Parts: sequence; structure tokens; C-alpha cells
Amino acid sequence: MKIISMDVMSTGVIAYYVLIASRDGLFTPILANTQKGAYADPVPQAVILTAIVIGFSIQALMLVGVMKLAQDNPTLESNEIEKNNMP
Amino acid sequence: MNTLTIAWIALSLFMGFVIYLLPKVDRYLALSVAVVSLGYALQIFGEQSPLTLQLLDNFGVTLVVDQLSGYFILTNALVTAAVIIYCWQDKTAFFYMQTIILHGSLNAVFICADFMSLYVALEVIGIAAFLLIAYPRTERSIWVALRYLFVSNTAMLFYLVGAILVYKANHSFAFAGLSEAPTEAVALIVLGLLTKGGVFISGLWLPLTHSESETPVSALLSGIVVKAGVFPLLRCSLLVDDVYAIARIFGVAAALFGVFYAILEKDTKRTLALSTLSQLGWILASPEAGGLYALAHGTAKSTLFLIAGNLPSRNFQQLQQHKAINPVLWIALTIAGLSISGFPLFVGFGAKILTLSYLPTAYATAMNIGAVGTAIVYAKFIFLPRGGQEKTRFGLSLAAILTISALLLANIAYYQAYTVANIAKVLAIIATGWVAYLLVLRRAELKLPRVLEQFEHLIGGMSLMLILLFWMVFA
Repeated sequence: MKIISMDVMSTGVIAYYVLIASRDGLFTPILANTQKGAYADPVPQAVILTAIVIGFSIQALMLVGVMKLAQDNPTLESNEIEKNNMP
Repeated sequence: MNTLTIAWIALSLFMGFVIYLLPKVDRYLALSVAVVSLGYALQIFGEQSPLTLQLLDNFGVTLVVDQLSGYFILTNALVTAAVIIYCWQDKTAFFYMQTIILHGSLNAVFICADFMSLYVALEVIGIAAFLLIAYPRTERSIWVALRYLFVSNTAMLFYLVGAILVYKANHSFAFAGLSEAPTEAVALIVLGLLTKGGVFISGLWLPLTHSESETPVSALLSGIVVKAGVFPLLRCSLLVDDVYAIARIFGVAAALFGVFYAILEKDTKRTLALSTLSQLGWILASPEAGGLYALAHGTAKSTLFLIAGNLPSRNFQQLQQHKAINPVLWIALTIAGLSISGFPLFVGFGAKILTLSYLPTAYATAMNIGAVGTAIVYAKFIFLPRGGQEKTRFGLSLAAILTISALLLANIAYYQAYTVANIAKVLAIIATGWVAYLLVLRRAELKLPRVLEQFEHLIGGMSLMLILLFWMVFA
């Protein structure tokens, strides 16, 4: 559950980047013969692509960890797991 | 020098993968990468002016290499080398691969000068550290690793929002743009880095993570990984006055807070982890001296962690009553402990004096109290009974010799500290601490609650810190 909520948070950040990118214009910044109008800023989009990939890989890694934990704690209640593992 | 820098930064990441392909020679490759970094760091001290690199146009990657990075890279090389030597026999290629990738991404943090490359490097560090913590694959280690990754990833999301605000104001991600960015950006970025670096309240994830990992991994984490969060804060605070003020307040607060917890702790590894919390405050308190202090702390703390992992018990009471420790271990423990307490002859002394010299009087007084606390914490280790007979690992002695000789040699960085007044002051601080320990605190039986370290409170604490930072920046 917590991992999913983290995913929601990172989606929010991604959406914010896209919003900033499209502040000045909406068209895809591809060089063409005809000028279509104001272009979107390509830099935040390029940058957030990196962040999406990183976020995705972290998500995968955490889910693998949770799968291991689920063998002994089928309900995956984080409070219970924490209680067992605090020294 | 330009080509050299790029080749060096690529080397460690490249080697990380080669190690996995050639598992037969893993440890030799890993050690050679650390040695190359050591050579590179020493080379930086020879350069006169800082080196600035702008790769790929305006929006590309900017790198800055100067003395400050030199100190951090040197620490990184020493700690990694010590850890590799320590576990020369009993680890698989996977472990060495992660260590070297961690080493490479840490180096990347120490030379980059824009928020985006910093983000990528910090996330790689997070993943590599996660894999190292989870390496034993027990339930506890997986839980601790998950908790670490979750906290650091959440912090990095705050940081990302801050980074785009900087970009919005400047159309560039360079550190220098932070001064023109809106105040929210400063608060968000500082929060992300404080959490990643484990400073003050937002660093409360640190004690459990560092104390429950395996010995070599805790040495790596405490010695150098947390400094990856502190280093960009130092860089920014030297550029932007707002951040400078915040860093100083948090530094002093963290130094006192961490030491208070550490004094009352009964477990050796947790004491060391909590002391890291306070030492990070020292690094942050005066950014000009942060480099030297990071070197002093990193080498000494990784030695302490490696030794603490080889003591017969983790509980101070048991160590005092039943189990005497090997005299050789005790000597190494004492040397590292004395260096952190700031005893003359070791680099900790110069670093402490340099840090204090940049602080205004009120802060310096608080830090002196912190120094007494540090002396008390390490008195707990120094006054352990000795005389045990158990064998020590060969790797441990080699690693300890490496770091301890570094502690002695690094004195040349600030030899001006050796005046009679300074020596007398430091000796008085240490004596006060030891007397206080022997007379009072040795028998103290006070147990602090660990509520704040629970997972959900960590995330909640992060939000509270964000609000606090907003106030500080707006004021």
C-alpha cells in the first residue's frame, strides 16, 4: 500500500514537470518547415524521463523486497513487520 | 585534466560491470579502482584553480572539481579501500560490484554542479546502498533496506519539485541558480538533501539503518554515503547566503541532538550511528571547513565500525563486565576514538579547530558543549576493559593500519592548528568529558524512547521539517 502511495506521489511530480514544460506552448518541439505556434519546453520533459525510469526501477526493486517479506508476513502490515524487526 | 576527469568518473562505473563479468579477479579490480581515486584526489590538491567542465551545451552536465571535492573524494577512496581489504575473503562478486558502483556514483556527486546530475547520482547511490544493506537477505535486513529506500526516495521527490522550480526561474539546473530561485525551491531542495544526508530530525532513519547492516556496509554507509547528502548542501551554502544560515543552524542543532542520544545509548553500533548524526552536524556547521572534517570523520568512523563489528558483544554492559576485548583491537579503537574526540596528533584535532574558527561565539560555545559530549561518547569505548584473547581478522588489521595512517598523515592539511592555546583547550574539553563519564554517566540508566524512529513517524517528521524550513526561509 505504501509503495503504491509512493508511486502516486512520483506521478504527481512528473505531472508537475509536464505542466512546467507546457507553460509557454503546447506543440511538440520538432524542427519542421512550417511554424505551428508556441513550442513546449523540451528540457523538463527530457529530464523527467530520467526520473521516470529511475522511479520505475526503484518501484520494481521495492516490490521484489516486499515479495520476500510476504513469505513470512502474508498480511504485509508494516506495523507488525516493524515490531518484529526493531532491536 | 579534463579528459582525465571524465575517464576517471567513467572508470569506476565501467569497472563495476566488468567485476561481475570477471568474478575471478573481482577484489583486485575493486581495490585498483579505489587506488585510482586516491591518486586522482591527491592530484586535485596539486591543482591551483578549480576545474570547471561544461558538457553538452547549456542544459548539459556541469562539473566542478576543487579542494572541497578533493577532500570528499579522498575520504571515499580511503573508506572504500578499507572496506574492500576488510572483506577480502568472504564476499561474492556481487558485493564488490555494488561497492564499486556506489564508489563511482559517490565520486559523481562530489564533482557535479547541477541539480539534475546530482539527482541521478543520488538515486544510484540509493539503489546501490539498498542492495548492499539487503545483501544478507534476512528478513530484518530486507525491512531495513526497504525502509531506507522508501525514505530516501520520498525525500528525492521533494527535491525534484525544488529542482524544477530552480529551472523555471533560471532556465538552467546549475547550483548557482539557487539564489534567484523562489524560496519554496530552497526549502524543498534543502529538505531533500537533509534527509538524504541524515541531519537532525530528518536523519532519524540513520541509527537503525547503520546499526542493523553488516559491519563493512555500516562502515561504508557511515563513512561516506551520508556525506553524499551533505556535500551538495556545503556547495550550495557557499554559493547562497540563505542556505548558509540554514546549514549553520541545522549543523549546531544536529551536533547537540545526536550527541545527546549517543551518550545514553547502550549498544555499541547504535552509539556509533548516533555519533555519526552529531558529526554530520559538525561538518555542516561551517561549510568552509567541512571538507577536512569529512575526511577526519569518514576515516575514523569507518575504522570504528569495522572494529565494533569484531567486538565480542554489542552491549556495553556485557563488554564491561564479562568480556574483555583484545588489546590490539583496543589500541585501534582508542586511536580512532581519540581522533574523533579531537585529540592532538590526529587529523580530528585540526578539523575541529578549523571548524570552530569559522563560527561566531554563540555557535562556538554550543559546539564546544558538543565536543565535550563527543569526548564522553568515545570515553565509553576507550575505558572498556582489555585482555581478551580471541583472534582478530587479518583484513581488519590491514584496513585499520590504512585508515589510521591516513588519520596521522592528513595532519599536514592544517598544521597551523598546533598552538599551545588550542592544544590546551582541546585537552580540557576531553578531560571534562572523561571525568563526567567516569563519575556520573557510567552508571546512568536512562532509556530514551524510539518512537520517532518508527517508519510512519519518519515520513511525518519529514513533512514537519518541510514546514519548519518554509518558515525559516520566509523569515
